[in-house]
Amino acid sequence: MKLRKLVERHQVVISAGSGGVGKTTVAASIAVWGALQGRRTAVLTIDPARRLATSLGLATLGHEPREIPRELFVAQGLEPRAPLSAMMLDQKGAWDALVERHAPPEARDRILGNAFYQHLSQTFAGSQEYMAIEQLCVLVESGAYDLIVVDTPPTRHALDFLEAPRRIDDFLDRSVIKWFVRPYWSAGWSALRAVNRTASFLLHRLEQATGVSALAEISDFFASMSGLFENFHVRIERAYEVLRGPGTAFVVVSSPEEQVLGDAEYLAAKMNELGMPLKGVVMNRVHPELRAGGRGDVVDPDDASEMERLLARAVGAAEAPALAANFADYQALARGEQLRTEQFRSELPRAIPFVSVPNFARDVHDLASLAAMHAHLF
Amino acid sequence: MTAPFARRLHFVVGKGGVGKTTVSAALARLFARRGHRTLAVEMEAGGRLPAVLGGPPSVGTPSAIDANLSVVSIDGRAALEEYLGLVIPVRRLLSTVFSSRIYQYFVAAAPGLKELMTVGKVWYEATRREGTRPAWDVIIVDAPATGHGLHYLRMPQAARDTFGAGLVQREATRVVELLQDPATTAVHLVTLAEDMPVTETLEAHAQIAGPLHLPVGAVIVNRMHARRFAPDVIERVGRAAEAAHGDESTILAAVAARAAEESGWAAINAQHAERLRTALGQAPIVELPYLFAEEFGAAEIELLSRRLEEGAALPAARRA
Repeated sequence: MKLRKLVERHQVVISAGSGGVGKTTVAASIAVWGALQGRRTAVLTIDPARRLATSLGLATLGHEPREIPRELFVAQGLEPRAPLSAMMLDQKGAWDALVERHAPPEARDRILGNAFYQHLSQTFAGSQEYMAIEQLCVLVESGAYDLIVVDTPPTRHALDFLEAPRRIDDFLDRSVIKWFVRPYWSAGWSALRAVNRTASFLLHRLEQATGVSALAEISDFFASMSGLFENFHVRIERAYEVLRGPGTAFVVVSSPEEQVLGDAEYLAAKMNELGMPLKGVVMNRVHPELRAGGRGDVVDPDDASEMERLLARAVGAAEAPALAANFADYQALARGEQLRTEQFRSELPRAIPFVSVPNFARDVHDLASLAAMHAHLF
Repeated sequence: MTAPFARRLHFVVGKGGVGKTTVSAALARLFARRGHRTLAVEMEAGGRLPAVLGGPPSVGTPSAIDANLSVVSIDGRAALEEYLGLVIPVRRLLSTVFSSRIYQYFVAAAPGLKELMTVGKVWYEATRREGTRPAWDVIIVDAPATGHGLHYLRMPQAARDTFGAGLVQREATRVVELLQDPATTAVHLVTLAEDMPVTETLEAHAQIAGPLHLPVGAVIVNRMHARRFAPDVIERVGRAAEAAHGDESTILAAVAARAAEESGWAAINAQHAERLRTALGQAPIVELPYLFAEEFGAAEIELLSRRLEEGAALPAARRA
């Protein structure tokens, strides 16, 4: 199957991979293609990603889908047959929205003003990833889009993205939270001590170590939030339904560097285990290798002195050495990439689409350059 | 003021994909080669710093790679348990405590405790003494990629300011004092000379020097393409490709394409390195070359460490 078919057959395309491989650019390029093909498309990215905003012609991205003006496409010689919207995830804002949607009005301000909540909503591991998935569910449920492209957060282990909902669910496990919402929590430890000596001992020590105020905040937070947990649990189940659904395709974006490929391999294996199999691979920033023709050629591209003689004949002896040296450098780079990529591919299921995108010697900075990538992607 | 590379504690920060671990490894090699007893620290266990330095991963306890170089990876959770082991000095209780769900829960929930303990572990190694001398002459810390690794560096201050008076606050205060000491600590930023990386590096730089009050070290610009071919030379190769036949034509076209690619990157890199220089004024900037290697190994790390040495304006090497 081609990547084109894969994108055509899915409503949700999620680009995953480690940081610095051009994931955002690939996601944006797929989204632009969707709009050109006549599908109502949204691309969801993770803040700050200003590069994406700029390349889409917007000054900034908002936390609501914002349509790219048609004139911007037309000005760059493109004819979209359906609208393209872009939005950026604001983690803090998304948590606040979730609280506002589900919390009873009287608890709302107390939650939003709670110091522990403010900390949690910004730094809890997996929180950003979870909110991206939550936003994705909102977009899917809106029914307003035929294609939703998600650019995942640049986590060290892209896997965090897939495990985030489960982690949040564990975190909000009611059987544990009940410790924190007991009315006697803030009254003192005596009641708790009767229940569980170990827990009480530990909590007492932690209280001493951390200072009381932090724990009081935590307690207050859970007391205020307790009504929300059932809702969260339902949302999290829904999130996994969307992620595992037949309409969702995970595409791994990688570059042919050793470490990055190692991460991608690990990711692909783990995705299988989690029931969210990888459905496509984009190998980005590839350097092409020129192979010898093998028909008794006059010149072997990997023979430095033959290359220098050829170039001396073509453009003169003055320029030949530098040109030949540069060519040899890029050949070496390409050979290494080629070897590693072949190894990587040999471990993938054979049927999944695999495309290579060359390393463009320019910043991708506008709609036209995003569209230029289509020749390689589709 | 102490020159950035003459300090003891070096944090290497930067976004994912800019070569932060490579630069950390090259810095560690540099100091070890100059006779300093050097510890390379990976702030989140499971990364590739130990492998790049040619040693096995070692979580929690430094392991020697060669005479002057050791490496250690920190696992925040393990560091926290180590710390609690000091607070709760009853062995038997500890294991019960660590396996209890309420503890697991607390670790997940307590604001930044894990991060604080990670930085605390760095502090411990930086202040640890063996006999009359410090355990290490130099410590290089490879920070995590998320949010430029600033999240970790911010945590001691956050803990100091948000936790009530208690042990954690006292510990945090000590850590902050060390991190903010310009005679001891340098926070180096690794970046690429491209549009977004430079913009983000300037923002991180402002964060570090501003609200975080941490001593900025050098900005290290990694993977600089340097060859420039005049447009007419590339054109001439292109025309020669058109005039030639068969394989020769293909090869010449490829030569022209690679020359154009290299020139293109060199121009982008030069432009954004200039932007960095203009914005940062006097701050030290060290440029490292793009390495065209089939495989990236020890020789490449060695080469980069030599280039760092040239760019770092270090005092005369001392011999152990």
